[in-house]
Amino acid sequence: MLKKRIIPKFLLRDGRLVKYRQFFDDERQAGNPVSTAKVYNDYGADEFIVLDIVPSEGSKAKVLDIVRTMSEEIFMPFTVGGGVTSLDDVNALLRAGADKVSVNSHAVRDPNFVSAAARRFGDQCIAVSIDYKDVSPGVPRVFITGGREKTNHNPVDWALRMQDSNCGEILLTSIDRDGMMSGYDADMIARLNEQLEVPLVVSGGCGGLEHCMEAFAAGASAVAISSLFLFTDHSPIKLRSHLVSNGINVRASKTSRN
Amino acid sequence: MTSVAIIDYGRGNVRSVFNALDYIGVTATITDDPAVIDDASHILLPGVGAFGDAVGALNARDLPEVLHRQAFDKGKPFLGVCVGMQVLARKSFEHGEHDGLNWLDAEVQRLDPGPDCLKIPHMGWNSVTLSRAHPVFDGIKADNLEFYFVHSFAVTTADTSKVLATGDYGEPFVAALAWDNIVTLQFHPEKSQDSGLEVLTNFTRWTP
Repeated sequence: MLKKRIIPKFLLRDGRLVKYRQFFDDERQAGNPVSTAKVYNDYGADEFIVLDIVPSEGSKAKVLDIVRTMSEEIFMPFTVGGGVTSLDDVNALLRAGADKVSVNSHAVRDPNFVSAAARRFGDQCIAVSIDYKDVSPGVPRVFITGGREKTNHNPVDWALRMQDSNCGEILLTSIDRDGMMSGYDADMIARLNEQLEVPLVVSGGCGGLEHCMEAFAAGASAVAISSLFLFTDHSPIKLRSHLVSNGINVRASKTSRN
Repeated sequence: MTSVAIIDYGRGNVRSVFNALDYIGVTATITDDPAVIDDASHILLPGVGAFGDAVGALNARDLPEVLHRQAFDKGKPFLGVCVGMQVLARKSFEHGEHDGLNWLDAEVQRLDPGPDCLKIPHMGWNSVTLSRAHPVFDGIKADNLEFYFVHSFAVTTADTSKVLATGDYGEPFVAALAWDNIVTLQFHPEKSQDSGLEVLTNFTRWTP
């Protein structure tokens, strides 16, 4: 059967890896994206995600360079996003070697964009990234522009609309939990998973192996992880063996080469 | 000397296949030039985009006849990947009904999410079971027969003798076909880390 996926997720700012808490606080430098991706390739991560969080014309060129280099050295699927606002942007990233392109703010600004991109490039390579936080207790709303701009969309309704637009995957990120390492938003994951027919990658809050178990129990197809891998001694290898021993269906091994 | 022609029909990410071959030290060219394709020792038809669009793009470049010549007249080792596997079928039902290259008696049907409401696309790593030994899977331990899939449609065929590997997604699906000098894979070897690189290495050393 299909395995649950372990996906390191990295944020780029001007071509460098960074990490925050709740999207803005406490910027920490996290290294070179290509060498980091190579390390995770060697660790046998299942995929990885890289998002340019402060996109500009200048950063787009840097991201394309990074994607090109990554695809020369890394033989697992990867998703790239941040600042995608046109079909040309999608095409450039795919041609540079990205397997999937993630669309966030522009999906909100142009409601036809995701379906147009899916039609042209294939459903499977268009992921929709959804960032959300509670605007009052129990009232989650989708935020765009790197978490700076509130919309009136409820994340579950928005995800289902994007599914109807033929996206291939949803990447759901809780802003409140980002970098806090206190656990995924299991309630939201369960609520969305109940209705979602495309794969669901969850992000925001992973601080321990048990958090991944909770996310999978709630129905996630994949866990996206950054702080846990960047700032603790946990690796995909350790996480994988923990999950295997707890009966989660993940890849058991990573290598066939002697 | 081994040289692989990676067939370029102007769609999506064919760079990854090139990069993987380059990494394992194999000479490869991304091309739609019949002369270059004629000179290659191995042919690789990568998989990108939707079925109808892919067949249309191949036809627009007059590639089906060139490919047929390589596989059937010259008997070169031929590898089809993902949609590059599916287009060889007789017909597909992806977004309407489309004729394929008709290299074998097979159809391309949408995966069935079944009673467990499985997610479509089938996206991620899955294990496969071989129905027989084959040179392209040589040396890969059974535990490591895990590959990266991303597809919503799969090949179905009554010609079970050609089925080389199956996977399980609610029900069995065809993960690889093989006959004569042709192998086709539903998964992406270029994205399947060591196991995938092993398959590509085996393919480039294969002399059927």
